[in-house]
Amino acid sequence: MSESICVLPCNGLDKCAGDLSRRVALELAQSAEVALICPVLLNQNRSRYEKALAAGDLTVIDGCNTRCASKLAGDLELAIKDKVNVSEVAKTLDIKLGVDIQENDDTRAVVQAVLAKVNSSAADQAESEFIEPEAVEYNSFSHGKFIFKVPQSNYFFNENDCWVTVSGNMARVGVSDYVQQNLSDILYVDPPEIGDEFEQFDDLGSIESSKAVFEIISPVSGTVVAVNSSLNDAPEQVNESPYEKGWLVEVKLRDFSEDQDLLHDCPAYFEFLQRKVAEIDV
Amino acid sequence: MINNKIGIISCSGEECLGGTISRLAVRKMMEELKPGMVSTLCLPLFIAGDGGEREFAEKYPTIAVDGCSKCCAKRAIEKYSNQVAGSVDVAEIIGEDKALEKPLSTRHLTDEHHEYVNKTAAITCQIFDDILAKQ
Repeated sequence: MSESICVLPCNGLDKCAGDLSRRVALELAQSAEVALICPVLLNQNRSRYEKALAAGDLTVIDGCNTRCASKLAGDLELAIKDKVNVSEVAKTLDIKLGVDIQENDDTRAVVQAVLAKVNSSAADQAESEFIEPEAVEYNSFSHGKFIFKVPQSNYFFNENDCWVTVSGNMARVGVSDYVQQNLSDILYVDPPEIGDEFEQFDDLGSIESSKAVFEIISPVSGTVVAVNSSLNDAPEQVNESPYEKGWLVEVKLRDFSEDQDLLHDCPAYFEFLQRKVAEIDV
Repeated sequence: MINNKIGIISCSGEECLGGTISRLAVRKMMEELKPGMVSTLCLPLFIAGDGGEREFAEKYPTIAVDGCSKCCAKRAIEKYSNQVAGSVDVAEIIGEDKALEKPLSTRHLTDEHHEYVNKTAAITCQIFDDILAKQ
């Protein structure tokens, strides 16, 4: 855990999951290094927490998938360092959280699992084996006030606007310039777990802006070996450098030659994107 | 889905003991004192603007139960929906100093805290009954 953390729980009262978010937050707040943020007071009087937010990383604990705490952080344009969803954690434990607020073995197990997730957010990951290209050259086209960039070579795209670039049997995955412009200011990247195995077109985490959540659809199959941890502190790198510094996930490829059949190379994606932008009329 | 036509919103309760008491008092009303008769509205959801909470508070009488004199719940209802039908400030029931003590997990509550919860829930029930009598 970092030395200073701000915890923003959803604090919902309607469902057990909301109450558990509060319980986790209160447990975390036992540490002097943790500042507790009330979502309602934050909304009403942000200045009350300015100092704490400036000094510490923000961890958001949502109770359910309405994600009130995340939405509040997004509305206030707060950078989220880490995010946990109590209902999602309960699901992985095969525990069903109902409406009634309960204090039993199940809810205690969920609280402990959420605490463990918050505390281990900076999971160790292996040194990157990916060899970065020296320079990436781009082609671009404009549509209205927007200018879209696509690399000239060595990148492959699916039609969900996610890219992969390959180095030996390692690859990096990210999202295109088109996605980052659509999302606008990216506030949070929710990566997959290191070690996760996935198929081509599986969900590989998500990125979130104040406008929307975008699911990363993997262009390849393989195993997650690293995530771009620099995005924890600077998710805006996805906006600033979507094809280079803003890469999302590093993977060990399973069979790229097979995956490639369903991907566009750079010139083909360039044409595909031109058509798409014209049709959608961004 | 909200079927009952009197709403109640508790303060979020992260800043002080009064908030903890307000949350528990509302749960007590919902589960023990007025089961099936009251619609609890989630304040964070109310503020986020989803789930029909604001619309409910606009149409139907809604009671605010606040932990301290900041009255976050009351202010939120008045800002986003309508005038409150009734308002409870836990600090007025248990004293300002007590209300501003640190928030507690339900596991650490003492008999004294439970007594505060009972008092707050009883006062809220009285307001509820008065509103119901006028309907």
